[in-house]
Amino acid sequence: MILDAAGIAALYRSHGHVVLRRARGLLGSEADAQEVLQEIFTALVKAPDAVRSVGSMVGWLYQATTHHCLNHLRRARTSARVLQLHVGPVTPSAGGPRGEAASEVRRLLALLPDDVATAVVYHHLDGMSHAEVAELLGCSRRQVGYLLERAQGLWNRAEQSA
Amino acid sequence: MNLELALPPWTACLSALRLDRWMMGELEPADADTVRAHVTTCAGCSTALAGMRGVREEMRSLPLPPALRSRQVSWTPRAVWGTAGLALAAGLLLVMRPAVPTERSKGAGGIPELAMYVQHGDEVRRAAPGEEVAPGDAVRFAVSTPVAAYVAVLSLDPTGRAFVYFPDGEQAAPMPAGTEVALPLGTRLDATRGEERLLGLFCAAPVALEPVRLQLESSAGTAPLPEGCQGVRWSFVKR
Repeated sequence: MILDAAGIAALYRSHGHVVLRRARGLLGSEADAQEVLQEIFTALVKAPDAVRSVGSMVGWLYQATTHHCLNHLRRARTSARVLQLHVGPVTPSAGGPRGEAASEVRRLLALLPDDVATAVVYHHLDGMSHAEVAELLGCSRRQVGYLLERAQGLWNRAEQSA
Repeated sequence: MNLELALPPWTACLSALRLDRWMMGELEPADADTVRAHVTTCAGCSTALAGMRGVREEMRSLPLPPALRSRQVSWTPRAVWGTAGLALAAGLLLVMRPAVPTERSKGAGGIPELAMYVQHGDEVRRAAPGEEVAPGDAVRFAVSTPVAAYVAVLSLDPTGRAFVYFPDGEQAAPMPAGTEVALPLGTRLDATRGEERLLGLFCAAPVALEPVRLQLESSAGTAPLPEGCQGVRWSFVKR
């Protein structure tokens, strides 16, 4: 697939919702989700070859969104802003224990190695099977199982030390 | 606490990836049929899908980011349709290459693609398989084919009646090789509500369409392809 600038604008219209929805879920902040949406498509204007050989545009957008959101969480972790935004409930439905726990998970995601964090997002947030995660990560299902076990171990350790 | 319990739960039984791929027409026809059948009976998946469609609707009202807007002005459509709204759709046709899977019969070659664009009021959008449209919407098809082919677009409407969208003749029409070539006929959807199944035919030789239409009717949309043809099947829903 070769996209010119108008093609990228059309892609934004047709597929942008995939990015926006997942970024909202991952970041828990409308402003941050909008920022990631713009980052991804602006980056594509600068480097349209990024999608030249992709088999699935949806799959590519999942990877790009996850990558940008994790970077966003990592950047935010270094500032006081992340505490303001994510310690409390991020949406009315995310309030209470689950909302607080989700904030903790976001903080943990920012600390995890990239492949572990990505596997957690795909499996737990997007409901993907190990096979689907393996396809997007380009690894075996066994490796996905290992990454998720590692994430759970790190989560347990973080909870114990809290 | 388990990580799964700590994260916002994904409550559908199909993954978000699978539902997104289905919405955007990336699944193989058989897989797409499986997902379509499932979401109509699964409360969790239909709720998730409704949420996903809600965000898609929201996106349509968002302005383009400046980085995309500034570049659009330098782009000139190479084709113009009969009405202003459909001319915009023609513009979209020139830049999008949907990944719709194809099926082949013996003797077929290359990989063709079929796209459908819908004008609803002043808005023009590219439809994905399973997309909801409204009676009165205008639709137009575009095809991509790596080699010159005889092309037709047929449909099976919700009442089980098959008809030919394109061409306005008895045989599939010759089309040159090309990407996103807009077919010269547009149509306005009638008031029959429900799922309408499409079959895009790409054949190496002229093919009589009446037998294909009749087979489509008698097989509830699963008619085998004529020899030397490739087919692209998907559907939309009129509500």
